[in-house]
Amino acid sequence: MSGVFQPANESQISDFIRDSAKSNNPIEVVGYNTKAIGRYIQCSQTLDLSKIKGIVEYMPEELYIKVCANTSMLEVMDLLKSKKQMLGFEPVDYGYLYYGKSNYGSVGGAIGCNLSGSRRFKAGALRDHLLGFRAVNGSGEIIKSGGTVVKNVTGYDLSKLVAGSYGTLSVLSEVVLKVLPEPEYSETFIIYNLDSLQAINAFSKVMKTSLEISGACYFPKNNINFFRLNDLDNTHSVLALRVEGPKKSVIERVSSLQSIFKEMKKTTILELYQSKLFWKIASNLECFSNSPNVVAKISLAPTDANSFVKQFCDDSIIGINNKYFIDWAGGLVWIEIDNLDPSYLIIEKIKKFCTQSNAHMTIVKSNMTYRSTGSFLTSASDDLKSLTSRIKKSFDPKSILNPGKMYAGI
Amino acid sequence: MTLQMPQADELVLNNKENIILDLKKISSNVLFENEEITPYETDGLTAYKQKPIAVVLPETTDEVSKVLSYCFNNNVKVVPRGAGTGLSGGALPLQDCILVGLGKFNKILETDFENRCVVAQPGVTNLAITNAVQHEGFYYAPDPSSQIACSIGGNIAENSGGVHSLKYGTTTNNVLGVEMVLMDGTVLRIGGKNLDSEGYDLLGLITGSEGLLGVITEVTVKILKKPQSVRAVLIGFDTIEDSGNCVADIISKGIVPAGMEIMDRPLIKATDDYAKAGYPRDVESLLIVELDGTESEVDILIEKVLEISKANKASYHRASASDEERLRFWKGRKAAFPALGVISPDYICMDGSIPRNKLADVLGEIYKMSKKYGLGVANCFHAGDGNLHPLIMYDSNNPKELKKAEEFGADILKYCVKVGGVLTGEHGVGIEKRDLMCEMFNDNDIQQQLRLKKAFDDKNLLNPGKVYPILHRCAEEGRIHIHKGKTKFPDLPRF
Ligand SMILES: Cc1cc2nc3c(=O)[nH]c(=O)nc-3n(C[C@H](O)[C@H](O)[C@H](O)COP(=O)(O)OP(=O)(O)OC[C@H]3O[C@@H](n4cnc5c(N)ncnc54)[C@H](O)[C@@H]3O)c2cc1C
Repeated sequence: MSGVFQPANESQISDFIRDSAKSNNPIEVVGYNTKAIGRYIQCSQTLDLSKIKGIVEYMPEELYIKVCANTSMLEVMDLLKSKKQMLGFEPVDYGYLYYGKSNYGSVGGAIGCNLSGSRRFKAGALRDHLLGFRAVNGSGEIIKSGGTVVKNVTGYDLSKLVAGSYGTLSVLSEVVLKVLPEPEYSETFIIYNLDSLQAINAFSKVMKTSLEISGACYFPKNNINFFRLNDLDNTHSVLALRVEGPKKSVIERVSSLQSIFKEMKKTTILELYQSKLFWKIASNLECFSNSPNVVAKISLAPTDANSFVKQFCDDSIIGINNKYFIDWAGGLVWIEIDNLDPSYLIIEKIKKFCTQSNAHMTIVKSNMTYRSTGSFLTSASDDLKSLTSRIKKSFDPKSILNPGKMYAGI
Repeated sequence: MTLQMPQADELVLNNKENIILDLKKISSNVLFENEEITPYETDGLTAYKQKPIAVVLPETTDEVSKVLSYCFNNNVKVVPRGAGTGLSGGALPLQDCILVGLGKFNKILETDFENRCVVAQPGVTNLAITNAVQHEGFYYAPDPSSQIACSIGGNIAENSGGVHSLKYGTTTNNVLGVEMVLMDGTVLRIGGKNLDSEGYDLLGLITGSEGLLGVITEVTVKILKKPQSVRAVLIGFDTIEDSGNCVADIISKGIVPAGMEIMDRPLIKATDDYAKAGYPRDVESLLIVELDGTESEVDILIEKVLEISKANKASYHRASASDEERLRFWKGRKAAFPALGVISPDYICMDGSIPRNKLADVLGEIYKMSKKYGLGVANCFHAGDGNLHPLIMYDSNNPKELKKAEEFGADILKYCVKVGGVLTGEHGVGIEKRDLMCEMFNDNDIQQQLRLKKAFDDKNLLNPGKVYPILHRCAEEGRIHIHKGKTKFPDLPRF
């Protein structure tokens, strides 16, 4: 068998995988194929899940939504919006990065890559919002885990495992996501002209208050001019702090921020509309729109963020000038690495940094050569790799689902 | 309940003395005398007791690794234990096992305010983490009622929750990293002070795995800044339905309270008699709603909640005017366990999760069952997150009553699953709900989980006999199929 198979339902997925397992035929699993994350793999068969879509059940008072796995993320977001609810992990629109225009892709695709936006440090990652699922494993068996309730310790929490497994364990057919009420109001407090160290210190300062900041990012001067907002000066570096909640409380908290940072020379406030737009542009990686280069994210301890930036992004002394920005109150650095470095030396250096400081890099965009040969993750220890391989086998004994997508040979 | 445990390994039992001698070469804390190991024969599910071959209390990760690798090479089963407060029998020893107690892993290794986390050994109590950081105004969010005693390692193993899980999540949402030892002695570090880590989310998987996948030897947890203001509202209703509707309404109006607790009439009476909390006595259902945040935010929300409660026919409502008053609202609820201890010689605490809108339905059914079994029941409900704790009262001096109480409990859990809920919200499956797993999962589901277990513990030596039904598969109709002739090994002694 070869070619593209487009199942219409779970049992067709199951039949297809069962047959493929019997004949040892590997399968590339794709949702809307919007994200070119992961190692490049070539399989004779493609399982195209774009028809596994539709809302199954939306229970606003129970705070969950159940959908077929490859329902469009935008459709889900719009539906929730109509009831003033949202996905707490703030889905990221990777369309800009890959194609220069909006494309949220499918829910299943986002789950496969565990993609979370700027609210992650406060509200948790996507994996924290996946309450349960149905899926087909690599033997073609339909399996389920979790449920619709937030508190559930019945058996292993497989939701965590499938989120971020890049489709290598099972093919999701139906998922239950936790939803949250939209905040009534929000504003963003902006501080201009800080350098990266000052930015990290400012994050640390606000995170030690009880102001409940729900977004905290920093864009350096060389990576700010893509913002086109009336109230934002895009010629200086920008540190942004988002405050959400009832209007009165937001206004009070923003004025607390003003007094905490009263010695700062230049600050401003983005009100509701501009604030929302700011976070959309920031979260959606519009700064790397259609980038021809390698783009990676590094999840690290906030106290390591500055030394990372100094080593890899922004050092006039050694002449490095890679575009970057910091999110998650210092816990995440996004970096765009010039493709001109043919040996990818800098990527290897970043991996070394990550290993030494217990950080983790994921390359989210690169070229075909790198995707075919290099590793898009940091580098797991041998013990971890061997456990990973055993886990993969427990779901997919013949290794036919996206083989090699995460690690070569697994 | 006749509880079947994995067949004891005769070779291991016959080799007891040598095993103890060998373990003594690895660790200086090996207990094996009857009196020494008696305290370890049971956990919070006190109806079941069993002494292990020996108890080892290691002090370093290296020691844990050596003990496990020794047991692995000699096919000796291992049961990990934290503080032994688990309510589902997860830390119950097996006759032919070594119990590995983490009690000596009791140090906080680092409080890191810059990165908002604490690194601790697994035997540190839940409350000790908050105590270590509260001078800077921080706290650790998950707050099981057992927090003065239970260990953080046990919390991770059980994915424990508290009254604040709706807003702040359970343990799984608050852990950043662990160090753990696999059954063959391999030491792995997962996560750390960063938010996302490499590869499959093993941290999420290990959390709530009830000591079946690895022994946790170090943890890194997130700490949060204490909210500026916390207030609570006490609301009484004439029917359970009204209180359920009120909860649904609060949530649909976009409010996420820090905590929402419902008590039914029997529990209101018991707790108020015991703790003198000043609860209204003429209501069927009492709801405590706690709100936190900045001062003005909390004040706004309190007003909204009062309004919503009036619209839902509340017959009593009172907002706390001071922190003392707020604590008094909680005083009764927090004393639920001792209060029941006064009115009944024994009780078992069940732990199902249900969709919030099914509360009245489920409680109605529970009262019917209570009549049928002739046993009293009182209920508390973490309404925010749908976690229901029926407390079934019985007398262990009457040998028939434990069995009846367990059957009653099982019926409740089956009903929870029937209305779309789950068997356990936070106490774990352990041995207690093990044989009910097929109510929720079919054979494919269970086999998948068992294969995953094998990826961590190929020989099935780490905490076997817990969580998953032994010796049998879930039959088509979801019933358990007992293999005849396989029950010759003794049941666990029952008390
Ligand atoms: C009065 C009372 C109130 C309670 N209230 C709550 C509550 O509000 N919410 C709640 O969620 N729970 C509650 N519990 C249950 C219990 O306290 C929790 O499950 C707790 O997390 C258990 O921790 P422990 O250290 O006592 O673990 P133990 O009972 O010792 O062990 C529990 C399980 O974890 C495993 N384990 C323990 N330590 C480790 C380790 N280091 N590595 C690997 N596995 C390990 C054991 O093998 C066992 O399976 C309550 C219990 C009591 C007695």
